Amino acid sequence: MSKKVGFLLVNKEYTLDGIRSTLGLAVENMYSYAYVMNNELPDLSDYHKENIEWVRDMEGEVYSTVDANVENHGMVKITLEEIGKQLRDLEIIIPYGILRSDKS
Amino acid sequence: MAKSLGIFVTSPQNMRHVMGITKAAKAKGSKVKVFFSWYAVHLTKCPEFPALCELADDVSICVDSYKNAGYDPADIPKGLEAKKMATQSQHGEIIEDYECYLTL
Amino acid sequence: MKLLNVYRSAPSDDTKKLVEIVSEGRDVESFDLNVESPDYSALLDKVFAADQTICWW
Repeated sequence: MSKKVGFLLVNKEYTLDGIRSTLGLAVENMYSYAYVMNNELPDLSDYHKENIEWVRDMEGEVYSTVDANVENHGMVKITLEEIGKQLRDLEIIIPYGILRSDKS
Repeated sequence: MAKSLGIFVTSPQNMRHVMGITKAAKAKGSKVKVFFSWYAVHLTKCPEFPALCELADDVSICVDSYKNAGYDPADIPKGLEAKKMATQSQHGEIIEDYECYLTL
Repeated sequence: MKLLNVYRSAPSDDTKKLVEIVSEGRDVESFDLNVESPDYSALLDKVFAADQTICWW
């Protein structure tokens, strides 16, 4: 049975690569989800836009707590509490990279 | 019986933990695989990296991350086999083939 | 369901909230890696005994 995995992406310097890793597991036939928390992404290259689309095509999703990411990049809006509830159903949870204390 | 252990490394700050956990796991008889991605590929330049390659059963890195971090893919880190300059599928292997999973 | 929460650094408020939600109603252990000399052997005993380990930032 396909595993369910979630990437928690809290640091702008790591988020786009975390989405690439999310896609990397989606193509390995896993249900792969990215949660972009507290960091607003800049304009995305076609490569990064395609990564998000491919995650979605492979039955994954890219969520964000940040309104600008929802408006500008088509991510699905989610709250911290909703992320917590979704994580309860995942087999693998990946707090990705390093934490940054500011919320920029 | 010690379980097998896969470690996905995405932080450049955790080499002491990667080494410490791998040493302790090998002392318990575990099979250990370590995969480095994104900024964690800078850890291939740590003096301990060749020893980690000796100690663990399988060490690989994301070659795209290595290139993006400014390194020449032809410059294979000391201790690493050329075929272990690999892709995100290594992460999938850790999840599918190892009993326990850690993110560092 | 045995859950092990491992902390690589001091948890933020958001991390604490996620841990609270994920841990609710489960048999929970924790381990702090953010110390000078972590007991890695003890950590592994907990990892091997757990059904799931989450290494928070």
